[in-house]
Amino acid sequence: MKKTVLDYALKIRLPLILFTVVLAFVITFYVSRAERDGIGYQPQQPIKYSHKLHAGTMSIDCQYCHTGVTKGRHALVPSANICMNCHTVARKDKPEIIKLTRYYENGEPIPWKRIHKVPDYAYFNHSVHVNKGIQCESCHGNIREMEEVSQVRGFTMTACLECHRDPEKHLPYLEKVNKGPENCAACHR
Amino acid sequence: MSNSNSDKKNSNIWKSLKEYYNDPEIFKAKANEFNEGVTDDFDPSELKGLSRRRFLAVLTASAAVTATACSDYREKGEIIPYNKRPEGLLPGRPNYYASSMQLGSDSYGILIKTREGRPIKIEGNPDHPINKGKINDVIHASILNLYDPERLSNPLINKRKSDWISTDEEIISKLKTASDAGKEIAVVTNRVISPTVKKVFDNFKRTYSSAKFYSYELFGNENKRAAWKKSYNTLIMPSVKLDKANIILSLDSDFLGREGNTVENTRLFTDRRDVMKGNDFNRLYVAEGALSLTGSNADYRLRIRPDAQFEFVMSLLNEIVITKGIGNSKINNESKTLISKYSLNDFVKNKGLDSLKVNYLVNDLIQHQGKAIVIAGDTLPVDLHIAVNLLNEILSNTEIYDFEKGYNLNSDLSTEEDLNQLTENMTAGKIGAVIHFDTDPVYHLSSLYNYASALEKVETKITLTESENDTSAACNYVLPINHVLESWGDYKDRAGVYCLQQPVIAPLFDTRQAEAVILTWSFGSSKSYSEEMYHKFLMESFKDEVSYTDFNDAWYSALHDGFVVQNVSIEKSAVFNLSSIEGIIEIKSNDSYLLHLQPSYFIGDGKYANNGWLQEIPHPVSKVAWDNYAAVSPSTAKELNVKNDDVIEITVDNKSVKLPVIVQPGTADKLIAVELGYGRNIIGDAGKGAGVNVCVFISNNNFVSQWITGITSVAKIDEVYKLASTQEHHALDDMSVKDFHRIRNIIQEGTVGEYIKHPGFLHDHAKHELFSISKEVKYNGLKWAMAIDLNKCIGCTACITSCNVENNIPVVGKDQVARGREMQWIRIDRYYSGTPDEPVVSNQPMLCQHCDNAPCENVCPVNATNHSPDGLNQMAYNRCVGTRYCANNCPYKVRRFNFYNFRDNFADAYYQNNVTDLVHNPEVTVRSRGVMEKCTFCVQRIMEARSEAIKENKQLKGDDVQTACQVACPSNAIVFGDSSDKESEVSKYRDHDLAYHVLEELNVRPNVTYIAKLRNTHSEEV
Repeated sequence: MKKTVLDYALKIRLPLILFTVVLAFVITFYVSRAERDGIGYQPQQPIKYSHKLHAGTMSIDCQYCHTGVTKGRHALVPSANICMNCHTVARKDKPEIIKLTRYYENGEPIPWKRIHKVPDYAYFNHSVHVNKGIQCESCHGNIREMEEVSQVRGFTMTACLECHRDPEKHLPYLEKVNKGPENCAACHR
Repeated sequence: MSNSNSDKKNSNIWKSLKEYYNDPEIFKAKANEFNEGVTDDFDPSELKGLSRRRFLAVLTASAAVTATACSDYREKGEIIPYNKRPEGLLPGRPNYYASSMQLGSDSYGILIKTREGRPIKIEGNPDHPINKGKINDVIHASILNLYDPERLSNPLINKRKSDWISTDEEIISKLKTASDAGKEIAVVTNRVISPTVKKVFDNFKRTYSSAKFYSYELFGNENKRAAWKKSYNTLIMPSVKLDKANIILSLDSDFLGREGNTVENTRLFTDRRDVMKGNDFNRLYVAEGALSLTGSNADYRLRIRPDAQFEFVMSLLNEIVITKGIGNSKINNESKTLISKYSLNDFVKNKGLDSLKVNYLVNDLIQHQGKAIVIAGDTLPVDLHIAVNLLNEILSNTEIYDFEKGYNLNSDLSTEEDLNQLTENMTAGKIGAVIHFDTDPVYHLSSLYNYASALEKVETKITLTESENDTSAACNYVLPINHVLESWGDYKDRAGVYCLQQPVIAPLFDTRQAEAVILTWSFGSSKSYSEEMYHKFLMESFKDEVSYTDFNDAWYSALHDGFVVQNVSIEKSAVFNLSSIEGIIEIKSNDSYLLHLQPSYFIGDGKYANNGWLQEIPHPVSKVAWDNYAAVSPSTAKELNVKNDDVIEITVDNKSVKLPVIVQPGTADKLIAVELGYGRNIIGDAGKGAGVNVCVFISNNNFVSQWITGITSVAKIDEVYKLASTQEHHALDDMSVKDFHRIRNIIQEGTVGEYIKHPGFLHDHAKHELFSISKEVKYNGLKWAMAIDLNKCIGCTACITSCNVENNIPVVGKDQVARGREMQWIRIDRYYSGTPDEPVVSNQPMLCQHCDNAPCENVCPVNATNHSPDGLNQMAYNRCVGTRYCANNCPYKVRRFNFYNFRDNFADAYYQNNVTDLVHNPEVTVRSRGVMEKCTFCVQRIMEARSEAIKENKQLKGDDVQTACQVACPSNAIVFGDSSDKESEVSKYRDHDLAYHVLEELNVRPNVTYIAKLRNTHSEEV
C-alpha cells in the first residue's frame, strides 16, 4: 500500500507536535512554579529598610515592630511612630531616615509594598500560629539574613497543608505539636 | 362564622389556603425543587438596557483589566499602616462601643461592633436594664442606613449643591427677619425623649422668640398615655411585669410585635414559657381583628373587630363587676349604670364568638386577680384605654405594674388643635419659617392637615434629614444630618434610666449633627459651629441630668456603659380617678366594612423604607415582602370576589386607594387591615415602588380612632398586582403523605396539661431502628449543636436580620423573591392548623441542620460541601461549581444559590459601591454568582473563639460561642453549644422530653433540636 502524505502527518508529525507541546507545557509549568507562587518576589520598598541590620545584627525582636501578632489575625506592619521611638535620636542625618521623618511629620502613612499574601478567600490567623509557638521564620524564611525582604516560601494551599499534616517535620523545634486542622472551614468561610 | 368549607378539609396543618383546599397548583409547585421560571427565565431580549451607571462600570472594568494585564502580575498592592496607631485599636480585632438609639417613643441600649474604625454590626447592650442585650430587626438593619448609597452628602439650596457656611448664613438671616417681623418659626419634630434636645430647643427659642415647637408621630402609644393621664394624672406610666402575669388578655395589642418596647415584652412574656424552668406557663388570650404576631402566639384567640373592642371591654366589666360582683367597692354608681348597659352574653351571641373561650377568659381573669393583665392596642381610642385601666384596677392587676421602670410622660405630642392651627397659620402666611427636624410631615400629615399645600405658602422651608424624602423635596433648604452612629445624644424615656449615645465613626459625608445645626443658628453666626459643639453641650447637659462626685469619672463611665441607672424616688402606685370613666364616649360597633391601619413591622413610619434588608424580611404572619397589602378574611374575600393579588379600591369619604389583596386566615370578617409606612413618593432606589401610601386614610374624625375607620365603598377592580410572598417557598412537605407535617415530625405540639400528666407524650410511638447507608462517624471532643425552643420562639424574625448583617447576605429585590430566590439563611416557617377562620399558628425557624449524615454532602461532585471534625456541615465557596445538586437533595430546603451576583443585580448595582461595601463583615466571604451558600453556624465566630482559647491556652468550650441569631433572639429561644459535653445547656435541651428533630425518620441526624411547643389551653387537645 502506498504511503500517503496523510499517513505521514498522522503517524509522525502529529504525535511529534503533540509531544513537543506537552513537553513545553510541562517544563514551563514546573520551571515557572516558584515564580508563580511568588517565591523570590522582592519589590522595591519606599524606604530602604534593612531587616538584616535591625533583626539580625541588632537582634531586635520581631514583635517589637510587628505588634498584634499574638492578639489577632494580622502581624501589623509598624506604624511610623514605632520607628520614631528610636529614630527621633538615632541616625537622624541619614537620607533614608530623613525620608522616614518626613513621612512621620507630614502625617503621611508609608506605602510599604506587600510581599506575603494569602488569597482573600483564605482566612489566615497569625495569633493561633504564633501562640502555639511557631516561629516567624518557618513561613517567612530567615529574615535576619535579608537585607531586603523577599518571599522564600509558597503561600499556597499545598504549602499550608504540608505543614498541617506533618508538623513534626516542618517545625522540629517544637517539643509538642498537634496536627493542624485540615477541614475546609478552618481557613475558608 | 362561615365554616361551609370544612368538608374540604383533609389535613390538620397547612401553610396556605391553597394547600388547605388542595389546590392542584400546590402539588405541582411542590413536586419541583425550584419555583417555576427560576431556571428558564434568561431571555436576553428581556434584559434591561445598558444604563449609564452600568455603562460606566463596564468601561471602568475594561480599563482596569487592560491596566492589570500590562502591570506586574506579582504586584500584591501596598500595606498602609497607621502613621500613629490609635490606642486600643488593633487592625483585625473588633472594638465594641456602648450607645443608644431611639426608635419611635423608646430608646434601646445598643452595642456597636467596629472593625478598623467602621461599624459593622449593632447588637443589644447586655448590661442595659430594659432591653438586656436584645434589639429588634429595625435596629439590627439600621446599620445599612449609615452606608445608604443615597444619603445626602452636602447641603442643598433650592436643589442646588451648596456649602454649610453660606447655607447657615442665609438661613440665619431669614430666621432673624422672620423673628423680627414677629412671624412664627415652626419646628416640627417627632417625639422628643432626649432632655438635651429639649435644651437645644430652649436655646433656639431664646434667640428666636417667635419659635414654636410641634411634635407628632404617625403611630404610637399616645392614646395609652393620654388615657393614663386622665385615669391617674401622674407623669409616670408603669410598664407591666409580664413575667408575673399568669393570664394576659390582649385587645388588638401587638405587644410582642410592633407596639414599642417589644424587646422587653418578649423577654418577660417568654420567661413564663420556659420548659427548663418548669411548667408554670402563662396563658395568652388575644382578641383581635387582623392576625398579628401576638395573635399568632395566643393560646386562645377571639376574632373581634376593633370597633367591637369597646363593647367587649364594657361587657367584660359588666360580667365581672355586676354579675360576679368583683371589685364592687372600687366603683361608683355612675360607672355602674354605664357598664350595666352591656351584657357579655349578648355580645358573645351577636359577634358569634365561642362562648367556651370567653367563659375560660372570664374565669381565668377572676381566678388570677392581681396576677393577670389586660393590654389594649395602641391604635384603639383613649376611652377604651380608660375602660381597660378600670378593668385592671377592678381585677387588682395594678399589682404587677412596674412603676420603677415606668415610662416618662413628659414628652407630649402636639394636640390636634395645635397642628390644625399650624397648618392654618401656614396657609394664612403667618409662619415665617418651618424647620423639619428629621421628620417627613408631607408624607405623614398631608391628608390629616393638608400639610403639603399649607407648606407651599411658607417662605423659608428647611429640612434636616439623612436622605431625601417627600418633605425635603418641597423645601428650599435641605440639610444633611448625621446617622445615629455618627451622633451624640441622650434619652430619658424610662424612669430611672438615663441613656447616652456616642458616635463610633466620623461623619462619612459633609453632614452635621442636627442638634448642632440648630445650636449654630441659635448662636446667630455660622462661625460658631464646631464639630465638638453638641458633644460639649451634651456634657454640660449631663451635669444637670446625673448626680456625680467627679465629672470625668461619671461621664466616662456613663459613656463606657451606655447608660446611667438613677435612684429617683417614684410613686409606686397611682390612684384611679373614677371620673375619667364617666366621661367616656361609647363606641357602637356595626356590620359594615372597617379599615384598620396598622404600623409596619419593619420600616417604621417610612423612615426605614429604603432599607433593603428590612423590606426583604417576610412579614411575620403573611410572609409577604416588599409591599403592603389589604388583608381580608376568606369569607370577605368571597364576598368581594377576590383572591390573592387581585386589586381592590378602598374609598373612605372621597379618598380612594388601590391595594392588592392577601386572603389572611384569621382575619375578622368585613375588616381590611393595611400597614402604614409604605409608598413614599421621594425615596431611594431600594424603596421605590414598594407598597402603597395609606396615610391618606388617617383622620381625626375617624369612626373608632385615627387609624380605624369605616369604609365608604370597597370593590374589586380589574387589575392584578403580584405580591412576593415566601410562604410557599422551600416547602418541606411531601404531598403523598397526608397530614405529613405531624406524621413526619415537622411540627410537633402538645398542651401544658398533657405534658404535666405525661412528660414523655411526644415519644410514645415506638422508635424504629433506623438504617443508615453511610458509616457512622465518631466525634471526639467538641461537636456543635443548636436547640430551638418553640415555646419561646414568637416568630419575630430578629434572627433573620442579625444573620443578614453578620453573614453579608445580599438584598435580592422583589422580583427575585417572587421567584423564590431570597437568600436569607434562616427562615421562619409558619404553619396553620384548624380552620381558615380560626387558625392556630405555629412558627418554626428553619436553618441548615448540620446533619451528621448530610444528604447534601454525598451528591456534591466536587466535594465543596463536607463535614468538619467538630460536626459542621461546611461549604467551601471557592470549590463550588454551582451544580445545585446539594440544594436538590436537602430535605430541609435551606440551601441558597447565588443566581446572580446579587449586589450587582439588585436595582442596577444599587448596593455595589464604595460606601455600601463598608457594611460587610470582613470575616465572612462576599459570595459571588454561581455558588451555593447556607448557614455556617457562624463559623467565623467559632474560629474567633478558638483563637481566643489558643491565646489563653485554654480548651475551647461550647459556651464560648454565640451565633448571630442566638445573640439577637429576644426570648433566648436559640441555644448553641457543645453536644458532646453532657453538662452543656444545649445537651440538656437535646435530652429534654419535648425535644425532637424535624424529619427524624430520614436518619440524617440533624444537629438542630426543636423543643415542641406546648399550648396552655384548658383542654388537652391542641
